Amino acid sequence: MKYMLMMNTPRDGYAKYLSWPKQLIAANTDFMHAFARKLAGAGELVSAMGLASPVQAKLVRAGDDGQPVTDGVFPETKEFLAGYWIVQVENAARAYEIAAEASTAPGMGDSPLVIEVREVMSAPP
Amino acid sequence: MKYMLMMNTPRGGDYQVMSWPKKDLEAHIAFMIGFAKKLGAAGELVGAEGLASPSQAKLVRAGDGGKPVTDGVFPETKEFLAGYWVVQVDSAERAYRIAAEASAAPGVGGAPLNMGIEVREVMSGPPKEQDA
Repeated sequence: MKYMLMMNTPRDGYAKYLSWPKQLIAANTDFMHAFARKLAGAGELVSAMGLASPVQAKLVRAGDDGQPVTDGVFPETKEFLAGYWIVQVENAARAYEIAAEASTAPGMGDSPLVIEVREVMSAPP
Repeated sequence: MKYMLMMNTPRGGDYQVMSWPKKDLEAHIAFMIGFAKKLGAAGELVGAEGLASPSQAKLVRAGDGGKPVTDGVFPETKEFLAGYWVVQVDSAERAYRIAAEASAAPGVGGAPLNMGIEVREVMSGPPKEQDA
C-alpha cells in the first residue's frame, strides 16, 4: 500500500524556519537527507519532494476561454504543503511509524512537527 | 523547473465525486486519464497521484519512546489534498496553463468544474533566504 506523508505549514512557516540558528537548519537538513536515504535503502521510498515558499503560491482556474486565471490570495487559516514523502509499505501502522520518525526532525521545539498521513489510491474512486 | 499542481478539497466539499451520477464520474475519470496521458506524451509529467478520502486521514507525531501517536481530528477549515500532478516545464506560465486545463475537468452534467488548482514550485534543495 502507498501512503503520502505530508509536512504542512502556515504561510509564515518558511520565514520562521529561515530565522532558526544556522546550526539548527543544518541539523534539520542533515536529518531529512539521512531519513530519505534510510527509507530508500529499505526499499520503502517511492518519492519525496520539498516545495518552495507559499509566498509564491498561486491558485489557478480556467477562465471563460480556458485561459488561466491566477490568484495569490489564500485564506488566513490555509495550511501549505512544505514537503512530502510517498512510501510503499505493508500497512498503515508502518506508515505511521515512518511519520512518527519524520516528526522527530530537529527544530526549535516551539511547534512540534505533525505529519498528515493519507493513503494513495491505486485506481480512480 | 518543476511545479506541483494540487487539487484541494474541503471535507465534504465540492469535489464529492462519489455522489455524482455514474456517467459524469466516468467522464471525469476519462478526462483525468487522458490529461495524464497527454502530459506524459509531452514529456512534462513527472508524477501524479490521487489520494484516498480524507475520512481516513491521520495526523501523526512521535510520542514517548518514538512510538507514533495518531489523531484524526482536523480543523473545520482544513483543506485536504485530493490529488496532484508534478510537471517539468520551462516557466511558471506553462504550469499555469496546465493547471487551467486541469481546472476545466468535467463535473456534474459534463460542465467544467473550473476548480482552483494550487500551483507551487518544487525545490531542488532546502529553502534559502530569498525563498521566504
